[in-house]
Amino acid sequence: MTIRSSFAETVGKSSYWFLHTFMKGGSSFPGRIAEQIDPAVLKDLGRNYDVILVTGTNGKTLTTSLIVKVLAQKYDQILTNPSGSNMTQGIITAFLTDKEKPKRHQRKLAVLEVDEANVKLVSRYVKPKAFVLTNIFRDQLDRYGEIYTTNDKILEGIKLAPNATVIANGDEALFASEKLPNPVIYFGFDDQPDGDVVATPNTDGVLCPVCNHILHYKFITYSNLGKYFCPHCGFHRPALKYRVTKRIHMDPTSSQFCIDERPYAIQVGGLYNVYNALAAYSVGRFLGVKPAQIEKAFQYDEKVFGRQEVIQLGDKKLTLILVKNPVGLNQVLDMISTDAQPFSLGWLLNANFADGIDTSWIWDGNFEDFVRNNDVPAVVTGGDRVSDISFRLKIAGAPDDKIHPNQDLDHFIDELKQVPTDHLYVLANYTSMLQLRQKFADMKLVANRM
Amino acid sequence: MELNFAHLYGDLMNTYGDLGNILVLKYYAEQLGIKVNVDLVSLDTPFDANKYHFVLFGGGQDYEQVVISKDIQNKADSLTNYIENGGPLLAVCGGYQLLGQYYIGAHGEKIPGISALSHYTLSQDHNRFIGNIEIHNDAFDENYYGFENHNGMTFLGDEEQPLGHVVSGHGNNGQDGTEGAIYKNTFCSYFHGPILTHNAPITRRLLKAAIHAADPDADLTPVDELDIQNAAVDVPEAKHNF
Repeated sequence: MTIRSSFAETVGKSSYWFLHTFMKGGSSFPGRIAEQIDPAVLKDLGRNYDVILVTGTNGKTLTTSLIVKVLAQKYDQILTNPSGSNMTQGIITAFLTDKEKPKRHQRKLAVLEVDEANVKLVSRYVKPKAFVLTNIFRDQLDRYGEIYTTNDKILEGIKLAPNATVIANGDEALFASEKLPNPVIYFGFDDQPDGDVVATPNTDGVLCPVCNHILHYKFITYSNLGKYFCPHCGFHRPALKYRVTKRIHMDPTSSQFCIDERPYAIQVGGLYNVYNALAAYSVGRFLGVKPAQIEKAFQYDEKVFGRQEVIQLGDKKLTLILVKNPVGLNQVLDMISTDAQPFSLGWLLNANFADGIDTSWIWDGNFEDFVRNNDVPAVVTGGDRVSDISFRLKIAGAPDDKIHPNQDLDHFIDELKQVPTDHLYVLANYTSMLQLRQKFADMKLVANRM
Repeated sequence: MELNFAHLYGDLMNTYGDLGNILVLKYYAEQLGIKVNVDLVSLDTPFDANKYHFVLFGGGQDYEQVVISKDIQNKADSLTNYIENGGPLLAVCGGYQLLGQYYIGAHGEKIPGISALSHYTLSQDHNRFIGNIEIHNDAFDENYYGFENHNGMTFLGDEEQPLGHVVSGHGNNGQDGTEGAIYKNTFCSYFHGPILTHNAPITRRLLKAAIHAADPDADLTPVDELDIQNAAVDVPEAKHNF
């Protein structure tokens, strides 16, 4: 360890101690200080860890949490980073504040969620054991550009660690677009008979990465994911090592499915969450966790799925869901549609910098099918861009007298209490979610920290 | 009456909710009892200039646009005929650029359009025009609102009128104060939002043009009387903290 990085580590740790003790929180500030003193501080910090880096545009947080749960069946202590702290500074902070550092000649596991653009900044210093790639959907394009650029950034990081195993979503064509020196394991779905379909218009990433013709699919799971093939050049989905072989039952609060012919259940709805579970399963199997242990790890879990909180608001049961891009939104709308009970809908839309300041993406969401297929008696809208989301629902076919716009958050909450159903879903993007949760915290309906 | 809409390269040029323009136009056509059919016209499929009463050509990602730049040369004649005959067309961002002579790609390469219109597009070094924008159209005395997010700097040809003059924001190129282009019934813009969801006057104008294209004798007063709405245009400033 160099004197410089040792100093960086000491300063970072003491700043964490100070913040943690006096300011009730650590954030990524200690990591920022340590990184400024020594940009290579991660090299020393990560030396005695076997590191698994989880990246991709959607599902990183949940996948990371699930991997930790699965691996906890076999490993005693696993370091991970809190949701959202997925840039280098947050990762440095996670190492700095690990209470049970590995002893000399001992290896410890670290499962880290990494922002797509930060993969190479981390894999430059920490030699990962595995990369886990969830998917690449359009997400806050005003930040990084395009799905291809995002994929390139991830690949740059992977190429710095050619010995690490890549555990990737095989249903995403981009992840097979480049031949890597690394060992690669693919996971995906194999639960439908072969046909020949194309993605619906308005789906991103449907070009063959080899010859630039439109990809076809034997079947599609959602968006542009599935058993793809190119009729023009023959490019096709690689062989899968771990497969979802059957969907047994899906509703908004649970999913039962088979992986490699064996049944599993998770207490959360949404096909995308089955992908997250499959990714965690694949990492577990890769590191020798047994199927029975994985089944057990999937069973107990409330905190992991915190992005779908259920809150009791008066006599209403309210399910709170974060949405931030069209693919995620469509998945959530599909999931809600599996509810057998009547429900109402709430929608909060902001356009702050943390949300992406362009709200155009709501027009890529498939509200048309949602409104057509569900008899929703009331839609309460709010947030800074209440007018945009209200107009979106109107154009999708929701009658004016069922849309209730409330820009003021207190009025929004009051209106939620008035809906004619016992159950309602509230969809919100990032900053509007934080604002709503703060209100609920003030009302003592939720604990303070997200 | 039925209207036929073409979503040009809708499976590849579909960033930033451009589809919303079709949804809004279709919604208001249906309010008048008009049936709307939407066709996807993409790679390797011809564009039938006589079939359509409205065409949307949206923006895409750089990568897809390069692919389309090659394919669209096969549709150049039919698209040019459509435009010259006064067919209603809304082109946004990348679609706007590809109707012109050329644009400069992410790596400095010159990517040909179809020269149906004479504008051309240069690129900025490491900069994008991003943010809310407001423009004024002198001929119609109307203000339009949108969200711009583009690297390209477009310069209009002599036969093109701008969609408007910049009140706030950057516009076509950040230099000459113009935004978008109008030529016959072709409307071009960098506006997302999407553009028709924030600008009822343009929706009304395009709906009239589409109905007129389907039936030159059609009575357009129902379109004038229709309550066409848009989302609020006085949006709050984006905040860094919340």
